Amino acid sequence: MKEIFADIYNKVVDFFTKTEEKDKTKDVARNRLKLVLMQDRTNLNPRLLERLRGEMIDLLSKYVVMDKELLELNFTPEDDQLALMLSIPVIRAKDEEEIEAALKAEDEEKERLAKLAQEADEDEDDEADDDNNEDDEFENDTEEDENSDLEDNSQDNEETKEASSELSENTEEHPKKKKKKKHKKKKNQQLEENVENEENKQETSNTSEQNENNNQEEVKEEQNEENKEEHQE
Amino acid sequence: MTGRVLVITSGKGGVGKTTTTANIGTALAKAGNKVVLIDTDLGLRNLDLLLGLENRIVYTIVDVVEERCKLKQALVKDKKNPNLCLLAAAQTRDKTAITGEQLKSICEELKEENDFIIIDCPAGIEQGFENATAGASEAIVVATPEMSAVRDADRIIGLLEAKEHIEKYNLLLNRVRPNLIKTNDMMSVDDVVEILSCKLIGIIPEDTGIITSTNKGEPIVNDEKSLAGQAYQNVAKRIMGEDVEFLDIDQPQDFISKVKAFFLNLFKKEA
Repeated sequence: MKEIFADIYNKVVDFFTKTEEKDKTKDVARNRLKLVLMQDRTNLNPRLLERLRGEMIDLLSKYVVMDKELLELNFTPEDDQLALMLSIPVIRAKDEEEIEAALKAEDEEKERLAKLAQEADEDEDDEADDDNNEDDEFENDTEEDENSDLEDNSQDNEETKEASSELSENTEEHPKKKKKKKHKKKKNQQLEENVENEENKQETSNTSEQNENNNQEEVKEEQNEENKEEHQE
Repeated sequence: MTGRVLVITSGKGGVGKTTTTANIGTALAKAGNKVVLIDTDLGLRNLDLLLGLENRIVYTIVDVVEERCKLKQALVKDKKNPNLCLLAAAQTRDKTAITGEQLKSICEELKEENDFIIIDCPAGIEQGFENATAGASEAIVVATPEMSAVRDADRIIGLLEAKEHIEKYNLLLNRVRPNLIKTNDMMSVDDVVEILSCKLIGIIPEDTGIITSTNKGEPIVNDEKSLAGQAYQNVAKRIMGEDVEFLDIDQPQDFISKVKAFFLNLFKKEA
């Protein structure tokens, strides 16, 4: 008898929880559909969104330090219109010097790109030589390099890295502050690299090799900086 | 590895081609097969919604055909099952954006690394149908026990028979309502099979769970309790060559009839 009552009880509970669930899936459907329709109507696709996200990060990280992993860029329906929602987890604003340095680095990068484009027109072999030298130099202090390989352009990648080394020289006055920042960033970067590696499995191994170099370089660099700090103290 | 290429078609719209594609594909993948689902309904894609992958589509079949990306890049992996991939249709183009030959060569390429390629065919018998069937060697004709659906299914069967590369085709009867059949208000499964004289591969009962599962973007085969889910599971088994009996779909569905059936069972036992 007990079993029978337990069974009835379960069925009653099932009945009520099921109706609740139904309400929920209705809302799920409504929201999914709204979003899909917006995407269809505006002809927006995830590829475009991802590019936009990358460029947003590049732009914003000139002015603020943020948690890039948590940055959200979404299109959400709002009153029959499509709203671009950008949620940025800001850690802190950058100070004047850093902003100046970032802007300067960007200008330099632009110049470099222009120069390189010119050189490429004149002589393509020069590029290869450049690549070899850059490997020894780069440091990973800036925000720019993290999203530069969205387009999987390994060349672009190296350019930004070199630009970043110049930036690091400019900001070296606050070694302690910088280091804190760096730890956080490194974590993010590695996460991002993992994701990217997964995504780009089919791509050529060029980028992943670079990432490896990158990590080794990072470790070395950190040791150096630790030594420096000890000396100072 | 040489995979099998199946096309899910019906002629009439709204009989459950896309639902069938999503569920059979998921069931086959759950059984350990490598499966690729291809949505060929250019301009009216929906398979992505049923699988809950609508926000992950970066490249579509048109991008592959027009060589903007590699075939592998365009395959969207399912959220739950890594064995299952979707090749989505383009939403902004029409049926003329690809040709049957192009789809055939895509299937040939996918065959090498997958066990099953399942093509979701658009409704109608025009270009879209010709494209979708071009690469397939087997077909599943979906119909409901309604006059218009059966008539269109018969037309489709005629067209499939004329295609030499279609080696076999089977009938899947969808949205069957045992209650209506009992009161002789709906053609029975046997009636439809007799009219179409086609081998049956599955009987799927009408199930409200289909609506909620579509809402969630999760095929109903993932719900082990649901009758329609079990029926789709059985279809997948039959495709894999197992001999499975047809499910008894005359089971109580709503709460009241469940309670009724429960007490009836109880009295039977007592007696």
